[in-house]
Amino acid sequence: MADDLLLRTDGLSLRYPGGTLALDGLTVDVPRGSVGLVGANGAGKTTLLRLALGQLRPTAGTIEVAGRAVADDPIGVRAHIGFMPEHDCLPPDQTAADVVATLGELAGLPPRAARQRASEVLDLVGLDEARFRPIGGFSTGMRQRTKLAQAIVADPEVVLLDEPTAGLDPIGREEMLSLVGRLAGFGISALVATHLLDDVQRVCDQVVMIDGGKLRHAGATQALLHRTGALRVEVNDGAARLAELLGAAGVAVTVLDDATLDVRVDGDGDDVVDLLRDGADDLGLALHAMTTRRTSLDELFVDEPR
Amino acid sequence: MLPPAGAVYDRGYRPYEGERGGRGASRAALVRVSIRRALGLRRSWRQKVLPWSLLAIATVPAVVNVGVKYITRNTPAADFDLITFREYVGVSTTLLLFVAITAPDMVCPDRRNRVLPLIFARPLTGNDYVLAKVGALTAILFAFSFLPQVVLFVGQMLVVQEGALDFLTENAEVLWQVPVAVALFSLYWASLAVAISATTQRRVVGGVALLATVFISGSVATTLVRAGGDGPATFVEGGNLWGLLSLIDTPLRTSDLVFLGHVDPESLVGGAAGAGIGVVLVYVAVVAGSLGYLLYRYRSVE
Repeated sequence: MADDLLLRTDGLSLRYPGGTLALDGLTVDVPRGSVGLVGANGAGKTTLLRLALGQLRPTAGTIEVAGRAVADDPIGVRAHIGFMPEHDCLPPDQTAADVVATLGELAGLPPRAARQRASEVLDLVGLDEARFRPIGGFSTGMRQRTKLAQAIVADPEVVLLDEPTAGLDPIGREEMLSLVGRLAGFGISALVATHLLDDVQRVCDQVVMIDGGKLRHAGATQALLHRTGALRVEVNDGAARLAELLGAAGVAVTVLDDATLDVRVDGDGDDVVDLLRDGADDLGLALHAMTTRRTSLDELFVDEPR
Repeated sequence: MLPPAGAVYDRGYRPYEGERGGRGASRAALVRVSIRRALGLRRSWRQKVLPWSLLAIATVPAVVNVGVKYITRNTPAADFDLITFREYVGVSTTLLLFVAITAPDMVCPDRRNRVLPLIFARPLTGNDYVLAKVGALTAILFAFSFLPQVVLFVGQMLVVQEGALDFLTENAEVLWQVPVAVALFSLYWASLAVAISATTQRRVVGGVALLATVFISGSVATTLVRAGGDGPATFVEGGNLWGLLSLIDTPLRTSDLVFLGHVDPESLVGGAAGAGIGVVLVYVAVVAGSLGYLLYRYRSVE
């Protein structure tokens, strides 16, 4: 076991009774901190969260959360985890203070401590004034913040946040991202499952990308962006011929028009630049411009060959 | 200029370093929370009216009986009992309305509002949930059924002519019969009511379904018993086993077995051969079936 890891999976697979393979041999080590779990709808994000909570048993492989093997104590591990589901899950007829305190008690806190903690975390998420109002009258943003408050009320080591900014307006999204970004400073590691890559770029120092239940990328967000940039290349003509030559050399290229193409660059990109220069020369093309630009996670996710 | 409502302030964060319970604490908390909700504690006064009114109503016969005992203590009617301890368990059937409202309120909103994933993200399982809900309702029903019996017993003990000690000696058996009968009664209704409530997300539907189930079963049983001949069903001596179909009668006949050792001959099942065993089997089947269904229903989270 590794205590310095938020999550470790080894050959983790889960096939639902209907036959759907939700996770397919996922092997990844995720360090503590703020980690984005990125993938399209149906990629296996929520399944991975439920496996981490011990709510599902893997078909194959193992999973550890905060250094604890889930299979050893699938129920007990939840004492160290907070969970914020994607969907609406709060009783409208109860106050935020009651709901958060109750869920604190269910996490094992004594009743008085749970009420005290509920007050503190609701204050932290900006609901100090509203905490004695029924949740039925809350805006979406206030509900999301209440959900975050219940996730951290028992001061967990890890919180699993499923689409925390879903349905929020720009201001609500800013507030939620601000709160999520501060969790690591509180000593709480966060695994943020989302399909909004921009959210991950802004608050997560690590990113795990999954697609179709398989791992696509894992690593530091900045390193990933640095490592996976692109060159915008402009030639006088014959972009398609240059693309063909580069493609034959194993370089991913997107032709934008007759004179422009984007060339994918991994690492420092010197070899690709050399290849471009030599290729243009061989084809008799004039290189008009060559500019570098960083790839957003969105582009990385969409463009990466599967 | 004032900041907009709901703005996020940096008030810092204090890690929790106090006591933490294990799974046992989580289970106990679920029972505690369920009891609080059922009794309307930490809720508006409207949620408190029903449970506490019903407790008061259930206690009325005991108070009246004690009053009659006091008034007649020096008269030839001193031995008259308005209601016996066995019959008082039956009076608790007035709590059926409370059960029909409380049981759905315990489980339906959790499913309707999709709170279950939050509950099962804590160190709790579906089994814990079922046992906590049934346990909480059983505990409340026990308290609401047992307290009036205590009033009846202690009140009579204090006012009877022969003195408290003699009364205690003469009624010593009641000291175990009442708690056992009331516990069986409470477990029966709690199991059945929570099971029926768990079939729906709507509280009203759950309550109506429970009342319909028990009253329709009672009507069907009565009709079938009458069809068997021998006069008005409720006074059939040597009635028949069709009476076992009446789910509302089962806990009363179970009380008969605890207090009398046999089924009341004036009941729907009357003195039919095998009535006692039949009652026990129906009781076990209803409780086990209800719990089995609930454990199946909550075997996995949504």
